[in-house]
Amino acid sequence: MKFKLIYPRWEKLEGQTIFYLPPHGPVVMAADLPSYVEVDFTDENTEELVIDDSPDFVGISMMLTTQVKRGWAIADEYRKLGKKVIFGGISTMLHAEETLLHSDSVFLGEVEGRLAKVFDDFRKNDLQKVYNFLSNPPDMALIGPARRDILKKDLYYHKGFRMVDLFHASRGCIYDCYPCAVRYLGGRKFRPRPIDRVVEELSQMDNNRLFIVDNSLALDTEWEKELFRAMIPLKKKWVSHTIEDKDEVLDLAAQAGAWYVYQAVFDTSDYIRNRIRQYHNHGIAVEGTILLGLDNQTEDDIKRLIDFLLEINLDLAEFTVLAPFPHTKAYSDLLKQERIFDHDWDHYNAGKVVYHPKHMTAEKLTELYHYAWDTFYKDEPQTQKMFNLLSTVVQREQQDGTYQPRRRDLKDESFGKKVPKVS
Amino acid sequence: MELNPEFDRYMDRYFDYKGQWNCPSRCGLKILTRKDGKTLAIATEIYRQNPGTPVTEWVAPLATQVMTELEETPENFIFVEHTPDLKSKLTFYGESFDLVSFGWDADKFINPKWTRLTSDQVNEMMEK
Repeated sequence: MKFKLIYPRWEKLEGQTIFYLPPHGPVVMAADLPSYVEVDFTDENTEELVIDDSPDFVGISMMLTTQVKRGWAIADEYRKLGKKVIFGGISTMLHAEETLLHSDSVFLGEVEGRLAKVFDDFRKNDLQKVYNFLSNPPDMALIGPARRDILKKDLYYHKGFRMVDLFHASRGCIYDCYPCAVRYLGGRKFRPRPIDRVVEELSQMDNNRLFIVDNSLALDTEWEKELFRAMIPLKKKWVSHTIEDKDEVLDLAAQAGAWYVYQAVFDTSDYIRNRIRQYHNHGIAVEGTILLGLDNQTEDDIKRLIDFLLEINLDLAEFTVLAPFPHTKAYSDLLKQERIFDHDWDHYNAGKVVYHPKHMTAEKLTELYHYAWDTFYKDEPQTQKMFNLLSTVVQREQQDGTYQPRRRDLKDESFGKKVPKVS
Repeated sequence: MELNPEFDRYMDRYFDYKGQWNCPSRCGLKILTRKDGKTLAIATEIYRQNPGTPVTEWVAPLATQVMTELEETPENFIFVEHTPDLKSKLTFYGESFDLVSFGWDADKFINPKWTRLTSDQVNEMMEK
């Protein structure tokens, strides 16, 4: 059976360095496909999608809210050709009711152990409108190595440099953070994968650089330490979200290859300052993730925050404006207060303001968002700061013999497209 | 409805409901029959103790279910949504109360609208 699996494109944020990482959802999904299914994957961000009647069955995997309208348009085209379309992935779950209007089926929840039934139903012409496993997560031991073989790997290089591969070691989160929907998507319970399964998958990955996409690694200290200990011999270099700031944990993380972490910076406190210092003391770089437009931020607060970021020597910073995604407390609060004025999902890219901020106009917040990017990167551009981080990891890889040289055959390409020559 | 008098002023039992996509969900609940004969329901979001859909996201079906189980009528039923103070550093997790008004469609509430209340206003509503 020919199964066409598609990852829809989305519009990138204006003015930011464009890069594409190999998607994670589709490769995790593909690992559960029955053996008789022949999968053909297209990441529309890096290659053109040809819509024709060659597939038997079509799957659309969506991660971001800014993908949903494009995903629905693709499905509409295939359905006009008489093809059945199933949707899955994070933003399918966030936008399930609307997605049902454009699909033959939606899959809600996690796939492990479930796709055999879905494909069997398809073959019997008995595809269900909804496969709902939201309240019934699978046994974490069932999560096997992701099917990265479905990716066209050469598309994830920039001028010969390979992008990180995405990987996950746990699901779910005990917290209920204001802008986050993980509570709805993965449940309120932290569910770590068994360490031996994690190591099995990591050992099979040919990419030495990873992004561990778990919401937070800092939810179970003993598991976290065990994970890092198990990772040390693998000599991978990785990026992740928060790690616990205990010295013992950070020391193990550094030995396990922690390259840099994403750290939310929400105020100018000593707590944040010390945390960044602790990471740096262990040789772990920090990319600050800064959410602008929260109800406790005035214009002065935002400007002070940006000054603070420069003062604490963050290695990189990523600024976003609050996007009230469905199934977040932010969405609930703003909905109650009738402050959301833009319901076009294409605009929910965390760069556009879609609600009325409390202490300023939407226009002022947009202005401050640009001010934040411009001010932080004024003296040293983002590309230079990224190059500094890359140099650090290259040095470490050269020291431990894991360095994979730049691909000379791809030096004139960026994500599958020829790089325009500068005359 | 499981009654627990040790909770607090605005919540004396848990209420289990099927949330969105049939997710098992739970909130805190207090039911008062007021002196004026109206029934006041206060539904409390209990965050980590709620395994499923938050009160706000499911407020119309939840209010319908509570009212139906109480054998009340829409005209005689007042619904208040409560989020407790989580003692967080972040201001979004402070205590809040909203009076929720609805439209009525045959046998269910629809189109919720929230009006922010102070705790004094809620206390006054409870004393009426």
